[in-house]
Amino acid sequence: MTFAWQRAAVALASEPLLRASGLMLKRAGRVVLRDVSFELFAGEVLAVIGPNGAGKTTLLETVAGLRIPDAGTVSAQGRVLAGLADSARVFSFLLDEAELPEEVTVSTLLAHAQKCSRAPSDLADSLMNALQLAPLRSARGRDLSRGERRRVALFSALCTKRPVVILDEPLGVFDPRQQLGILRLLKECAKAGTALLLSVHQMSDAEKLADRLLLLCDGQALACGTLDELRTLAALPGASLEAVFLGLLEKQKGSPHAAT
Amino acid sequence: MLRRELAIVLGARVTWLVIAVAALLVGHSFVLAVDLFTAGARSVEAGGLMAREFDPLLGVIRPTLGGIYISASLLFPLVAARALGIEQERRSLRVLLLQTAAPLRLLLAKYVATLAAAALLLGTMIAMSMLWLGIGGHLHAAEVVVALFGHALHLAFIAAVACAAAAWTRSVAQATAVTLLFVLGSWGIDAAEGFAALAWLGSAAEWSITAHLHTFEHGILSVGDCAWFFAATGGALVLALIGLRFDWPAYRRALGICAVLLITLLLMKAAGKQPRAYDCTETARASLPPAAVTALRTLPMSISLTVNLDRDDARRRQLDLDVVSKLRLARPDVRVRYPLDERAASAEAARNEGYGRIEVCAGATCKQTYSASRKELVTLLLESAGQPLPDWTQPNYPGYPRVVEGRRRAAVLWLSYLILPLALATVGLWVTRRRRRK
Repeated sequence: MTFAWQRAAVALASEPLLRASGLMLKRAGRVVLRDVSFELFAGEVLAVIGPNGAGKTTLLETVAGLRIPDAGTVSAQGRVLAGLADSARVFSFLLDEAELPEEVTVSTLLAHAQKCSRAPSDLADSLMNALQLAPLRSARGRDLSRGERRRVALFSALCTKRPVVILDEPLGVFDPRQQLGILRLLKECAKAGTALLLSVHQMSDAEKLADRLLLLCDGQALACGTLDELRTLAALPGASLEAVFLGLLEKQKGSPHAAT
Repeated sequence: MLRRELAIVLGARVTWLVIAVAALLVGHSFVLAVDLFTAGARSVEAGGLMAREFDPLLGVIRPTLGGIYISASLLFPLVAARALGIEQERRSLRVLLLQTAAPLRLLLAKYVATLAAAALLLGTMIAMSMLWLGIGGHLHAAEVVVALFGHALHLAFIAAVACAAAAWTRSVAQATAVTLLFVLGSWGIDAAEGFAALAWLGSAAEWSITAHLHTFEHGILSVGDCAWFFAATGGALVLALIGLRFDWPAYRRALGICAVLLITLLLMKAAGKQPRAYDCTETARASLPPAAVTALRTLPMSISLTVNLDRDDARRRQLDLDVVSKLRLARPDVRVRYPLDERAASAEAARNEGYGRIEVCAGATCKQTYSASRKELVTLLLESAGQPLPDWTQPNYPGYPRVVEGRRRAAVLWLSYLILPLALATVGLWVTRRRRRK
């Protein structure tokens, strides 16, 4: 099922749906994001990759308006987002560190997510089937395994009419079979016109899912582009994303053996 | 949204633990009150005391409410701070705010869920009141409702303070600690009441939470005290709302805090000066005799009392609780001054020859006395205004002495110490049990 805005967004795919320009953020005197810029188009999957502590989650939080940048702007469909109300019109967010309320039953959480997003019931139903949540409805947050909790959180993030879904490490907790299902689901969402911005730790996952990749290191965007563009940048034609990633990191550090 | 928040508050074991412990405290207060009441009532049977002195509101309900007061002050912050604080701890608050896009609605949903826990806490008091009726005791509905209403306002205020603390801190522990510090600050002000050495804190008495509960516990519905609680609760909730606006720049939040604090304090100050109050007690026993009330109300001039007694003097306390509160019900505009509070010298040095003198003025005419008797003081007031003392007959309050012994006392003990706390703990365990998946 597609919405009017999704069809319009697909039609205007040449215009970026989201644009982050010169994002800079300091925390406790340390610069954690340094002049990060990127664009995201409707129906596109942009994966943020980078080593631990690179600032991936911080970047996603800043884009979603959960952190106020010291400099830079985030705009959606040409309009600069300022404040919670603006961000809430554009983004749906899954934060890796955020825990589900353990006292609440899954059915209440699902109903809450659907009500907040005003998503139609057929979207909710299809997500519920895809994420296999029906057997968990009567369970409470505390009774769920980590993977089950993540599936409920994914439902909350994806059951939305908002044009951009931001997912922080959405795949890390699933077994390979479940992961395939989730990858398929995310691709379907993107196909329907939703723009996906996600942080991914496993390079293989990013390679399977992302249309473009943003490589972040020490809060700085080292590169942004398709895998082929990154291969060219790293001078590693035909290499895996993992090799490209390591190559670009080494190149950043100035090592002459980066490509090997 | 409310369903989710209710589940977070009522689905937490700590909530039910707090309520069960509160039930134990309330039950213990009730048992002590009933035993004391019974001891006195036996003297009535032996002809030693007047039956009309046996007032269940002051003898049973008020001491039992002490258990609610302690629970609301020291235990309830754990529950109230958790509703919002747990979202901070789980790092889900900002995501939730983004999801709902309605900070005010989210705050109100959390606040209402906290009030549901407060209602359970008050429910233990209602259970004790029912128990008192069940063992043949007497209660006057209006005065008990007023007393409970006062404590409901207190709980609502503590809940709002805890919400504000949780909105500005990072964890449940921090928010609870801030709320407890707030309560202890109020208790610090209360400590000034009985000690002349703490007279310098006396001017802060109007900011004490406890001071604003007293009138309710005596069956008097004070408009000023209600407004004080409403203003304080509203202010705390707006502070909480500003705390949730993480998307506001720091200067805007700082300005918001300053403005809200200023407006709230001004509103609380103005509310405290509102003297209107209604005596809801049976046979209006908290008031002066009806003819005296009418006479005082028809006096065209202003009336005032100047009391030369130290704050740690028992006579002054008696005067405040009896004559001053009754005069205020009849004439809300009565001015009462305590010159010794204004002295910088120590209390002992202040005890000069004028110590104990009470000056009563009606307009420009003043009379003096050393008596703290209510009849004497009202007589002097009316004489100063050139009027005789009217009929001093008070509507007959029969008093309700009640001896609780034997099986009834055993029932009180079982219900107060075991059945009610255990029932609440069991309900809590059942509500928070692990559920099998279908």
